[in-house]
Amino acid sequence: MGLLTILKKLKHKEREMRLLMLGLDNAGKTTILKKFNGEDVSTISPTLGFNIKTLEHRGFKLNIWDVGGQKSLRSYWRNYFESTDGLVWVVDSADRLRLEDCRKELSALLLEERLAGATLLVFANKQDLPGALSKDAIREVLALDEIKTHHWCIVGCSAMTGENLLTGVDWLLDDIAARIYTAD
Amino acid sequence: MDGVPTKVCPSDAVKIPERVLRRDQERLEELERRKNAKESQTVSEEKIGYFRAAFSAEKANIEDLLSSCTQTDHQKAIKVLEEATNKIQHLQKFLNDSTVFLTQYELRQAQESLQKLQGSIAEKRAEVMPKKKFAFRSRTAGTSLQPAVTPSSTEGQLQTDPGNSVVDSVVEQCGFSNVQNEILIKHSEEIQQRDVLLSHLTNCKVRLYGSPSTLHIKNVRGCQILCGPVSSSVFVDECKDSTLVLACQQLRTHNTTSTQIYLHVTSRAIIEDCHGVSFAPFNWTYHKLDDDFRVSGLDPKRNNWSQVDDFNWLAAGTPSPNWAVIPESERTSSWDTAEPKA
Repeated sequence: MGLLTILKKLKHKEREMRLLMLGLDNAGKTTILKKFNGEDVSTISPTLGFNIKTLEHRGFKLNIWDVGGQKSLRSYWRNYFESTDGLVWVVDSADRLRLEDCRKELSALLLEERLAGATLLVFANKQDLPGALSKDAIREVLALDEIKTHHWCIVGCSAMTGENLLTGVDWLLDDIAARIYTAD
Repeated sequence: MDGVPTKVCPSDAVKIPERVLRRDQERLEELERRKNAKESQTVSEEKIGYFRAAFSAEKANIEDLLSSCTQTDHQKAIKVLEEATNKIQHLQKFLNDSTVFLTQYELRQAQESLQKLQGSIAEKRAEVMPKKKFAFRSRTAGTSLQPAVTPSSTEGQLQTDPGNSVVDSVVEQCGFSNVQNEILIKHSEEIQQRDVLLSHLTNCKVRLYGSPSTLHIKNVRGCQILCGPVSSSVFVDECKDSTLVLACQQLRTHNTTSTQIYLHVTSRAIIEDCHGVSFAPFNWTYHKLDDDFRVSGLDPKRNNWSQVDDFNWLAAGTPSPNWAVIPESERTSSWDTAEPKA
């Protein structure tokens, strides 16, 4: 017991977080990841598999997992659930045709036991497009207000311009930090 | 010599016990310090007994709270449910914090009771306040940027299938839908940097002169679709026996069969659940194509049309049977441009 306590405290000192980024294909997950990391976003290909980025932000070490959203890849999402601190759900706000799909996939995820403790950040992406639905509309379509099992927040953003990406991630970090690091 | 030893001896007798005493004292202090340190590591709360008692007390508390919640007082019920939800969240946190010293069995038991509580709270919620289904409202479909302003108008539509109403909302979108056997043309002032949707078209010829921001092609049969440079992605779903001529940053093709794609793509094209899709380089030209390339931000010199990722064919080395390159001799070189004189 003494050793475990020490290990737990060590882990806390590292201030490491694991974030899992999911969403339908073409939502802009990779673009968000690359923009947040300050990389070029004009040459991004549809993700065949996944990308991992480890970056430092506000003294935290963030391990961000960006997993492809194509239908054939969604069954592999579950392989990435373990020890996830934060779930980032990315929505293409202009893709009205598939919002219902988007709602279904999200609500299925929230039933996952291994994601039970994770904080949920919803990015209503592509707000720079003229046809985009507002974050309030997305909130309604995805029935976010009915989520009682997770802490959640929706942020309207644009991965192309970088608008509000920081706001969202900062909220996520604050929420996770309040949950994990003030525990002792 | 008598006096010397007697002088020394007493002083020695005093000195030695003093040193021993001091060392003994230090030893005791060290012991005490270690004991304290050990105790601080095994906080009394980290005891299974304590956890069990606290957990079951809180669980009983929540169950009482839930059973006291009735349908008669709506406001009060909402408050009680809110409180119960918070309590469950705290309990979950308590459990998470205690995982370090709990046994697997203990953990599973606790997790199960938590889930049971979650279930009963969901049941209670459904009973006390019936869940509202989401539906797009026809009234706000056009100005969907503030759909939350007329909550009263939802009542009438609650019975409708939400799946259908989502599709209905695209009525106002730029593009063509539900057309057969026609020639359809849009010019740059209509589509420039907008989201364009082509859906449910049969045997049509479509010409889009200009640079849309995205292009969605859905449920299309026997069509010939030509489009100017698209800034971001082109999304193709349920397309059959058609020819597409596209320039874009990304192409995402789904559930498509027997279709030829003349493509300019600056990153990658992907196919998923497709058969008999063949690719050739984009070769359409029209007046102001160069201008549209500039508007779209696409690099005209960078074309990865032949690098197609098949999400159903992950074997490296062997090419996917689902797509092919159109042999040069079989490529169409000129499109009967329906372009009006500029």
